[in-house]
Amino acid sequence: MNYAMVLDYQNCINCKACEVACKEQNNVQLGADKQRIWVGQTDNVIFGNLFVNFYPSQCNHCLDAPCVDVCPTQASHFVEGGLVLVDQKKCILCKGCMEACPYDARFVDDERVAVDKCTFCYDTRILKGETTTACQATCPTKVRMFGDLDDENGDVIQLLKTRKFFVLKAKEGTVPKLFYLVPENDEEYALQSIGHSNKIYTWDEMSPIIKAAKAKRSMQWKKS
Amino acid sequence: MNVEISRRRFLQGSVALSILGGISLSSDKLFSQESKDGLSGEKKIEDVPFLCAMCVNKCAGFARVEDGVVKKLNPNPYFPKSRNMLCPRGNAGIHTLYDPDRLKYPLVRIGERGDGKYKRVSWDEAYKAILHGTDKFKGILQILDEEKDNRSTIGYCNGEGLSKEGFEDLMGQKIGTPNYVDEISICLETTLAGYFNTIGTYGEADLNNCDYLIIAGANRAEAIITPDTMDMFKRNRGRGLKMIAIDPRYTNTVANADRWYAINPGTDLAFVLALTYVVLKEDLYDKDFVAKHAVGFEDYKKHILSHNYTPQWAEKITGIPADEIYKTAVEFMRAINPIYYQGRRSVFAKNDFQLRRAMAIFQGLSGNLDKKGGIIYGKKLKLPKEDINAPMYGQAQERFDVSSVAIPSGKTGSWILFRNMILEGTNPYPVRAMFMRKHNPMSGVPNTTKTEQFLRKMDLNVMIDILPSDTTMFCDVILPEASYLERTSPVASYGFLEPAIVQRKAAIKPLYETKTPEVIYKELAEKLTKPLWKNTLKYDEDVQDDTKGMNAGDLEKYYKENGFDLTDLYEKTVEEANKEKVVKAFGEEAWNILEEKGVYYPNMKTYYKKINANTSEYYPDDKKFYTTKKDKLKVIMNFKNLAKKGVDPMPKWHNEWAFEVPKGQFRLITGRHAQFTQSGTTNNIMLRDLIRTNYLWINKDVAKKRGIEFGDKLEVKSSVGKINIKAFPTDRISENQIFLLHGFGGSSEEMEFAYGHGANDARIIEDKVEPVYGGAVMHETNVEVRKV
Repeated sequence: MNYAMVLDYQNCINCKACEVACKEQNNVQLGADKQRIWVGQTDNVIFGNLFVNFYPSQCNHCLDAPCVDVCPTQASHFVEGGLVLVDQKKCILCKGCMEACPYDARFVDDERVAVDKCTFCYDTRILKGETTTACQATCPTKVRMFGDLDDENGDVIQLLKTRKFFVLKAKEGTVPKLFYLVPENDEEYALQSIGHSNKIYTWDEMSPIIKAAKAKRSMQWKKS
Repeated sequence: MNVEISRRRFLQGSVALSILGGISLSSDKLFSQESKDGLSGEKKIEDVPFLCAMCVNKCAGFARVEDGVVKKLNPNPYFPKSRNMLCPRGNAGIHTLYDPDRLKYPLVRIGERGDGKYKRVSWDEAYKAILHGTDKFKGILQILDEEKDNRSTIGYCNGEGLSKEGFEDLMGQKIGTPNYVDEISICLETTLAGYFNTIGTYGEADLNNCDYLIIAGANRAEAIITPDTMDMFKRNRGRGLKMIAIDPRYTNTVANADRWYAINPGTDLAFVLALTYVVLKEDLYDKDFVAKHAVGFEDYKKHILSHNYTPQWAEKITGIPADEIYKTAVEFMRAINPIYYQGRRSVFAKNDFQLRRAMAIFQGLSGNLDKKGGIIYGKKLKLPKEDINAPMYGQAQERFDVSSVAIPSGKTGSWILFRNMILEGTNPYPVRAMFMRKHNPMSGVPNTTKTEQFLRKMDLNVMIDILPSDTTMFCDVILPEASYLERTSPVASYGFLEPAIVQRKAAIKPLYETKTPEVIYKELAEKLTKPLWKNTLKYDEDVQDDTKGMNAGDLEKYYKENGFDLTDLYEKTVEEANKEKVVKAFGEEAWNILEEKGVYYPNMKTYYKKINANTSEYYPDDKKFYTTKKDKLKVIMNFKNLAKKGVDPMPKWHNEWAFEVPKGQFRLITGRHAQFTQSGTTNNIMLRDLIRTNYLWINKDVAKKRGIEFGDKLEVKSSVGKINIKAFPTDRISENQIFLLHGFGGSSEEMEFAYGHGANDARIIEDKVEPVYGGAVMHETNVEVRKV
């Protein structure tokens, strides 16, 4: 089991249904800056033309997660399926993980007095038998597909095998697990939003990277 | 002040309140819940099918109810219209249900109008106040007595929703007033009318199969319409659907389009006429289709060509380059399945009816109607209708507001004309009471100052609503309604390509002392029926003639047989009526499916297929209702009867419609965002996190010249009022235009989360009407802007 999310981000219209569904599902603290997930926006003027592009995002549940490494109390930890979670009882709010995260995916929950972030709805849905996260299920244009990288026949692998994709900040080397599908017939669209230097992958290229990272870290995955 | 309430803490609070009210949970249930949590951890969990009412779309969902508390709203995969999704507002519905500012008990005004002083009363006392008034206001009996039973002296209004028809039946059919205004005349009346009068339907755009879309003045990424929004943004940008966006602003829809033309506000008609010119001049239209279905084609061709509606002509009016117009026209006609999207929004300009006619005709020229990939007519599943025994009131008079418009809409009239005539005293008889439900004209109808004067002029204002809106605060009797998650609503039929029957079921019982709208209608009818009947007997000569010499028994029989008994509409509860209708039309099994899934359509069990976690198939492709109109399809290009009403029989440009803004001023345009619906959702704490207030979009260069920076306080002034609002300098709008979101800036202090945020556009939009239906024109106001 190796949970991941594929995003057909070209579909995104920045309606933020995912943000609300996440908050309602997971009892996330209210407040505009208290978000487990968000919609990023590229806002540019290219050759005199406005260019706006949306990329929904959240915790990447990196296979080689730096937030887990820096945590002094083991509050940030891996669980089965390669999910990165925070044990809020153990969190002492040193905020080291917030510094370490390349994606700014973590924030302080002032009520629980602990760091909070996306769990892929592990406790609120997946453990209860649901196969989708709240953000995926509610999306009007169906941007997200949540699933298992170890399931060869699953929808996630099928998408990754048939489409090209990129990850955010690949150079950080954290082996993130949000895979952004490159628009099929409009690659320029992707390049304009992520920059021309960002690497575009096929599954054959990504698969060994994931395998290696899993081999390195999966002994730390706690059984739930 | 920032008020932070955690959802958890908040839900606990609401439960406690409802226990105190003794409504939602009994005390022994509370204890059992505690013991459950402590011991076995077992909770009573239910998924109740509901239809969302956060906007007009009625998307389907399942409410997860845990021990009587709604904890999560999930999308319902079975409804072909909403296709397994809930938008941000749909997700946030829980916080409308549990909004701490909700109207919880019936209230009667004890202070002066607008000062917010009310007394909590029982429902009986509230009904009594409506009938007999108090020392502060007159009751309906006194008004009708003074007006000699002229029922038309009562006005009423209602916003969109599944319980609207019930209110219309009570007020219009049974109590007997024609003076009804609703959201149609401040919304899409001319869009519907333009399409109906041209191609016989508003139709549904088949965006799953369309390959070329002109989307003009419709912002589907931010003004979500299901299923259109979901379909079009899965196929845009190189994925089969080429999208040309026409909008004065760079919207999120524009961000997803292939091309964008920033058109001058109010000039879309010139754009469509020029497209039509190119198509007719170069013979690009579908000749077979036109020969078969067009009415008055030769007249129209001559009309367009002789007026020289060339792209060059349109460039000067619209601001869109002539060669781009030419290119778009040619591409449109060369596409296999092109659609000029019908749009669905308020009237922006006085020419809106003609614009819609021109759009529908242009669509007709492509031949892409009543077929896969085009605008389809589809099918609607029929539900039996109940007959209403509507009484005749001899003293009631005709409605007066639409006498000055060309094609009067007898049912819903014109909000602006109705209000203004009453204010100006040009109404032939007085209107003295307003019965209002789920409607906030203080925010929705242009010129708020006049709306306030109108409300103050009434002898009696009654409101049925869930929140203390600006309008509610000018009412004398306030009846608190159950929100959509607390009520089972009349069963509804959704038509077009993949028709279905849908039902909203109550997820929980009404909170506090609220009641469902249908129960309120019933109780109002019970309280009003006999006193009003006595008033009719006193003044109505027709009834007096009919009933002369009758004994009490015969009189009672006459009262019942002739529909004067207002209560005869309410013999069945909503639940009973729903079951009866569905079983009668589709059988017992259909009812069981509808009860469980919230959705039913014939052959659902075999047709419905889940394709993956995201996608379902509702009807096999060969069973979808792509083509239903066939030979009956007509495209009316020359509509000769319109001329008799003084309306152009063929869409024609008039020079007074040109876009002009005096130097130093700006054209005001308004619109929507995906995270709120008008004023009704501004108090929702979850949505407030996403969009707390509105800003004034002003062109970056203009702002720089004027020394305006982000967040600066601006005063925006028109001929009818002024507002203060914070600045948002942006590239996304032209130099002589400004934009603000509609719905913010409410004056009701009782909506604590919304109060004090943003500005109300209705305070500065001038109250202009378009001449064909009397619809409110939203984008013809020029304003001055200054830093304060």
